[in-house]
Amino acid sequence: MNQMYPLTRSVSRKLSLLLLLTLLFHLAQAADITVTGIVRDASSGDPAIGVTVKVKGTSTGTITGTDGRFSLRAPDNGTLVFSSIGYESVEVPVNGQTSLTVSIKPSAQELAQVVVVGYGTQRKVDVTGATVTIKGEDLFKQPVMTATQAMQGKVAGVQIISSGQPGSSPVIRVRGTGTALAGTAALFVVDGVLTDDIANINTADIVNVDVLKDASATAIYGSRGANGVVIITTKKGAAGKMSINYTVNAGVRSAANLVKMANAAEYANYVSAASGNLVQPGTVSTDWYGQILRQGFQQNHNLSISGGSEKGTYFLSLGYLTDQGIVIDNQYKRLTLRSNNEYKLSEKLKAGVTASYSNGDNQIANLGSAYNNAYRAAPIIPAKVGGRYGNTSVYQNVGNAVLDIENNNNNVKDNRLQGAAYLEYKPVTWLTFRSSMGADWINTNGRVYNYKFENDTVTFLSPGGNQRNPNSNLSFKNEKTLHWTWDNTVTFNRTFGRHTITALAGTTAEQFTYTWFTAFRKDVPAAPNLWYIGTGNANTSTNDGNGDKWSRNSYIGRLNYNYDDTYLLTATLRADGSSRFPKNNRWGYFPSVGVGWVISNENFLKGQNLFQTLKLRASWGRVGNDRIPSDAFTVTVTPNLAYPFGGGIATPGSAVTQIKDPNLKWETTEETDFAVEFSALKGRLTGEIGYYNKKASDLLINVKVPSVSGDGDGVVLTNAASIRNQGLEVMLNWRGKITEDLSYRIGGNLTLNKNSVIGLNGGQPILDGGIGAAQQYTTRTDNGQPVGSFYVLKVLGVFQTDDEVAAYKNAQGTVIQPSASAGSFKYQDTNGDGKIDDNDRVFAGAYQPKAYFGVNGGITYKSFDLSFDIYGNVGNQVYNGKKAFRQAVTDNVERSMAYGRWTPGSGIQNEPAANAGNLPASTYYLESGSFVRLNNVTLGYALPETVLKRLGISTIRVFATLQNIYTNKKYSGFTSELPGDPTKSGIELNAYPTTKTIAFGLNLGF
Amino acid sequence: MKFLLYTGAALLGLASCQKSFLDVPVQGQATTATDPNLATNLVTGVYNSLLNGEAFGGSGGDTHGPSFIAATSIISDDADKGSTQGDQPAMGDIDNFSLTPTNNFVAALWDGYYSGISRSNQALAALQTASIDAKTKNQLSGEVRFIRAYYYFNLVRFFGKVPKVVRVPKDAQDANTDPNFQTRAPVDTIYKVITDDLQFAINSLDLRSASQTGHINKGTAQTLLAKVYLYQKKWKEAYDLTQTVISSGQYSLVPDYSTLWRQVGNNSAESIFEIQSGQFNNSDMGISGYSMWQGPRVGGKGGWTDLGFGFCTPTPDLVAAYEPGDVRKAATIIFIDNSGKYTGTRLFDGFRIPSADSVQNLYYNYKAYHSENPQVESYLGNRGQKQKNVKILRYAEVLLIHAEAANELGQTATAIADLNQVRTRAKLAATTAAGQADVRNAIWKERRVELAMEHDRFFDLVRTGRAAQVMKAAGKNFVAGKNELLPVPSLQIALSGNRLDQNNGY
Repeated sequence: MNQMYPLTRSVSRKLSLLLLLTLLFHLAQAADITVTGIVRDASSGDPAIGVTVKVKGTSTGTITGTDGRFSLRAPDNGTLVFSSIGYESVEVPVNGQTSLTVSIKPSAQELAQVVVVGYGTQRKVDVTGATVTIKGEDLFKQPVMTATQAMQGKVAGVQIISSGQPGSSPVIRVRGTGTALAGTAALFVVDGVLTDDIANINTADIVNVDVLKDASATAIYGSRGANGVVIITTKKGAAGKMSINYTVNAGVRSAANLVKMANAAEYANYVSAASGNLVQPGTVSTDWYGQILRQGFQQNHNLSISGGSEKGTYFLSLGYLTDQGIVIDNQYKRLTLRSNNEYKLSEKLKAGVTASYSNGDNQIANLGSAYNNAYRAAPIIPAKVGGRYGNTSVYQNVGNAVLDIENNNNNVKDNRLQGAAYLEYKPVTWLTFRSSMGADWINTNGRVYNYKFENDTVTFLSPGGNQRNPNSNLSFKNEKTLHWTWDNTVTFNRTFGRHTITALAGTTAEQFTYTWFTAFRKDVPAAPNLWYIGTGNANTSTNDGNGDKWSRNSYIGRLNYNYDDTYLLTATLRADGSSRFPKNNRWGYFPSVGVGWVISNENFLKGQNLFQTLKLRASWGRVGNDRIPSDAFTVTVTPNLAYPFGGGIATPGSAVTQIKDPNLKWETTEETDFAVEFSALKGRLTGEIGYYNKKASDLLINVKVPSVSGDGDGVVLTNAASIRNQGLEVMLNWRGKITEDLSYRIGGNLTLNKNSVIGLNGGQPILDGGIGAAQQYTTRTDNGQPVGSFYVLKVLGVFQTDDEVAAYKNAQGTVIQPSASAGSFKYQDTNGDGKIDDNDRVFAGAYQPKAYFGVNGGITYKSFDLSFDIYGNVGNQVYNGKKAFRQAVTDNVERSMAYGRWTPGSGIQNEPAANAGNLPASTYYLESGSFVRLNNVTLGYALPETVLKRLGISTIRVFATLQNIYTNKKYSGFTSELPGDPTKSGIELNAYPTTKTIAFGLNLGF
Repeated sequence: MKFLLYTGAALLGLASCQKSFLDVPVQGQATTATDPNLATNLVTGVYNSLLNGEAFGGSGGDTHGPSFIAATSIISDDADKGSTQGDQPAMGDIDNFSLTPTNNFVAALWDGYYSGISRSNQALAALQTASIDAKTKNQLSGEVRFIRAYYYFNLVRFFGKVPKVVRVPKDAQDANTDPNFQTRAPVDTIYKVITDDLQFAINSLDLRSASQTGHINKGTAQTLLAKVYLYQKKWKEAYDLTQTVISSGQYSLVPDYSTLWRQVGNNSAESIFEIQSGQFNNSDMGISGYSMWQGPRVGGKGGWTDLGFGFCTPTPDLVAAYEPGDVRKAATIIFIDNSGKYTGTRLFDGFRIPSADSVQNLYYNYKAYHSENPQVESYLGNRGQKQKNVKILRYAEVLLIHAEAANELGQTATAIADLNQVRTRAKLAATTAAGQADVRNAIWKERRVELAMEHDRFFDLVRTGRAAQVMKAAGKNFVAGKNELLPVPSLQIALSGNRLDQNNGY
């Protein structure tokens, strides 16, 4: 190597000189002209995006925009080279033409595209694990905030559950619920920076999203791999002309589904029947949900500038998004800036920086109590008249939902800097050293102001009641997070005859620090310019604060072996040390191995035309999950449990309120994966069919402990359970062309998943999903059942007569429900002991769907393009928890309950007689969660070249997009897509209603 | 090559500093090893558990909050659920004896008392190894064991048989497998724990005059043990202990009964065991919810800012139980003006409650009232934890225990003398009762009115075997042999793998 170094340097010097001379020669010889044009995919006719266009023999070049268009200066006698990953290169002589239309063919092996695999890239064909790549442009076209939400329905094995709340991040579940702990989130890797949340990433900046699904693919991330890994690569500039792109979309959102509550007359009728006292409907009929929901405006602007030279490239972007949300007083705004630069310092040394800044401003609606109160509030009370509120609390001890939202001002602002800098050194072509330092810095400032108001006639139409706030108050919360990562890797890549070997070794170190503090005072004046702590009453000051810190140190290794592009082997190993585990269990080792066989490259398949590619792969891997609180194994003391001996200022005290498991160990997931991948019928049909079996053991779960143990919250974190997810994934895509002008594509994906707890390891079943009122728990996570299965009383029907009540006896002749009467629910006495209690509960389904699927397609006709995608799931149950809010006779009911209620002689079996609510947890509240919805429809029109040329613009495209415009669901609530923790998911309590959006947009490229 | 070397050095450097890199101590939380004042802080933490009032599944449960009010007062013939008809039906279930094992208030009591017992066990374990002087250690252990005994005394009266937990479980596995944590011990076993703890406390604590205000002292322990003996019908022991308390000269009846439950009466000469209140973190600190849940509530025409949720309202039966001229009646009950003259009700701090057409209920508990006028009583605006001291044991009860024990031992004259001390303070004439049986009834009657709304009545009815008769007379759905006890919470039974058995009839 010592000898080679000066040699390569001298060669490169000579080459540079030669290049310079060639350039000068060209400049002297030919006149440059501007060439514009469009590149299309030869098979589909779609505009081909991101195609590199270069003047042959020079470094001059550009890339095509989202519309497939390009524009560059080239010699009139030159040749343009069009190339793109997954396509065959095409050379087109300029011959003095200023406008070109170029078709490029997908390469024979579409699977030859490059995918990001974690600490490196691989050809798709060499990958032996389950990974899927989604193009950024497919995500960006949807009017949603995060790329995660836009991925919904696009990838088999990846379930995304999203609420309609502006600024919120969806729940992502890769191949079923694989853990019972709070740490279920997939790992996101943004340009090498590890993070849990990508709410700061502007989807317009994303080139590709690579989803690593199975343990063999994620094992390189070791203890972060159990829930899947989502790798995001952001855009870079390309050498050549500066390109400027501006995209805007704007539209309105509204609730996708509404729940119809009883109106005043229906309410009066129901409550009169339930209470036995006549209630008069009065003159008003308030639709409380209508009062707190609205249509919201949303807009998204993106401007990017990119370009570069041989020495370096740049990509700058600015994004601005606002989303009002559909609840009154709600608004989210986000500003994003990105600067991605790459510098070629020498032939061997490259450096780069990816940096992003985001500023979020979230005006939060206090939905918690408002949503509950909107369900319960009587429609006979007006919401707000002439600036004064209807007094619901004096009538029924339920707050006025509109006032719940308007009596406070809750704002959270966050500033986030995220980026990485790297240095890459290639002493020889087959060896690469890389050192990358990444950081994610978040500063969040929350401010809540609660207005002073009395229960008098200044605020309310009538005085009294419990809804009041005698002292205004102001609270601040400041949070700071810094998470840095330092990766050092060395990659070896050489081909010896038919053998290709790629090997990677490296270390990573990470540290996470987090601090927060709060400040609070009362009696702060109502004018917003006085909302500072100093203006409040100092005698009411309180403050608090704390923090967290953990670190992780890892060693990684990966070996890829390829024999003749036919036999493939991948092996990885990661050793992770985490400060979150006790010393005796601190290190975890996460190996994986995968093999692949590209049958289509075998001689015996040569000459056939059915399959262009046919590949079988199988893999096994072990990954871990360390997403637990940093204090999980250390017994700590809860401070400030004071006692005021003799009155006055209390003496501080403390208590040990949490039992800890001193032997916590790594949660491990082992997964086996088999799949066949193919491309057939001249590349028109591509697909992948796979099976996985994922077993997670030593799962860290919060096990409920009896109160006698003295544990304050009644739960202890320990390694207790095992969960298995088994499933089948199918992805099929077809693309075709009917005429030169008309092409289409259609694709679908389907996931079947079976989740089941296969062992509790001596632990207790987990009872969870408490709703309040009479329903202390609704789910039970137990052996042989899916995680978080609903566990409730079974409703057999409604007692039609009092005689039926008397006749409902067990084997010993005990009347089972003696206090029931005609019109009450008849519950199953499961254990036959002659009474109805918790021992009669039965498993009644789970929130995890048996199957979920996506269908997407598109048609391109001349300058028009139309695309759609559909998403749905089947075979799950959801719990209508908000119905269980109903806990007093004066509470409102759903319209369907008002009309569907049992009355003598009606024969109704599914709805009891008018009642005061407060019913026990039962199958009455369970409904099918199956749904299918039209997730997105987009229609676009790109102006023809002839027009563009006159304007001197390279692209103009206008589009209309409809998001979530139609849902077919069985569930009677707002939405059956309900995020939540594993042991209490699928329960609709105060979920932000899902929204539908109609938006229009414009894309301009220069 | 240099780069290779540097990278290599960097990797090695990282590997060598790895040991300390991964040793990150828990941030922001002291451990049992790092807290220098662990034992004394834990003792204060045990006292703190007296203030818990989380009735809806919150951490720490409920020792003296709404659940305690429901299971001691509302359940009895002294008080009704109150409030509006629809509010807190589970409290109504306790009032009417239609409660089931899923009742959240009952569950919160179980949580609260075992949470407090666990804190006691933690503190006792820490005291064993604490490096403090033997006398202090002995005294602090005595205070903690008193509180543990008090908690078990309430538990055994609420639930009968309960798990005997007198040590700290090592971890969840330990708590889930040791039969002591999973099954109920006989009532006698629990009473043994109580008497042992109280005997220890008596031996290790100083008299009130030598103790700090608000702390448990020798007299506190003696009084509670005397009361425990009363429940066990150990008349001689009860008599002797109360005699000791009386002769100690530490206590006396305060002249004005109405001051007992106001701030001016805090830690008075009559106070024996009193749950303290004060300020912490610039806010009020007291039992969670105690005053707010029992505060007079707006109703009807409304139009005023009410004082609370209106639960635990005195019954007409209690109103009728007072003899004419008894000053305790007006000190115990807030009477809402229902005269039709709209004069309203003026409370001791000058607050005026409007008349009945604007108020939800006709009677409210005056003993739970705490003024929101900071000129009259301390108040910083935290309604949920008003600075209301709650009197659990006071000297008048010592006299009544002494009287009852004396009467059962045949010393009727002594009993009458005790009784008359209490009656005199209430501005009543001497009792006319004579003979053991009459005097017994007179003492029971006196207990009711003297200790009304002080969380004793229901236990007292069960103790004296009158519960079924009195409850039925009050029109309640009481089932003898069942409703003397509360049901064991179903969640706890489920968590024990059904090893906890249920009380009769539930």
